[in-house]
Amino acid sequence: MALAVFFVAAALAVLGGIGVVAFHQPIRSVLSLVVVMLALSVIFLLLSAQFVFAVQIIVYAGAVMVLFLFVIALLGPARELGRGRLRFQTWLSALFLLVLLGLMWSLLQGVQYRQPDKADLSFFGTVQSVGAGLFTTYLYPFELTSILLLVAAIGAIYLSRKRIDDL
Amino acid sequence: MSALNIGGSQLDTSWFLLLSAVLFVLGSIGVLVRRNPLVILISIELMLNSANLALVAFSRQLLNMEGQLFALMSMTVAAAEAVVGLAILVDIFRVRDAEDIDDLSELRG
Repeated sequence: MALAVFFVAAALAVLGGIGVVAFHQPIRSVLSLVVVMLALSVIFLLLSAQFVFAVQIIVYAGAVMVLFLFVIALLGPARELGRGRLRFQTWLSALFLLVLLGLMWSLLQGVQYRQPDKADLSFFGTVQSVGAGLFTTYLYPFELTSILLLVAAIGAIYLSRKRIDDL
Repeated sequence: MSALNIGGSQLDTSWFLLLSAVLFVLGSIGVLVRRNPLVILISIELMLNSANLALVAFSRQLLNMEGQLFALMSMTVAAAEAVVGLAILVDIFRVRDAEDIDDLSELRG
């Protein structure tokens, strides 16, 4: 059962990723990315990461993608572009990235993973364990991310303000 | 090879990592090939998501919560990156059309 769920979700994720790259209109790329994120959230659930699953759907597929859709609606449809300035850019990049994929695939062959000592899956990945990690051991990184979000919000407001000479 | 027992089925950790690698390569193809700056931002989001998948897969393999916590942090960073990148794009589009990323090369040294 979990095997079938994994393969369906993985196929959906790969198809969505191809859609992100292949669709000409940005709005279709964004919707393909939403498909990828929902498929990945199913895979997070398979990996018993319940809290990451919820955050993936609410924050990523919900908030960040709606932000992208807003900006696309604001900027209007993109016009079809002509050829790029760099010749062979498409083919060279596809070639090098295929080599990169082959490298990563060959690295995965025959990897021995360390087996964990304990196997208590009833507590693993729950909100309690995430909260216990975030508010004890990783309290400082957690607070630093809140500062990062504040800085990003201030920066976005500063960038999108109305200039004085526009008034 | 190391199999995870998930719901009675045997799933290999390498499969999750291979899916993550495929999604990362698709995202980098998007960054390199596409010329619309918005689509490049979307492809960067795809690459960040694939990194999250690798983190969560290793977290499950080692039964260690740190991978999931780091995935949460990287989601925060991705959200901040999307907000600032989109704000910059909107600011550029207010002045002129920039449908080709090659048009935005004034900062080139």
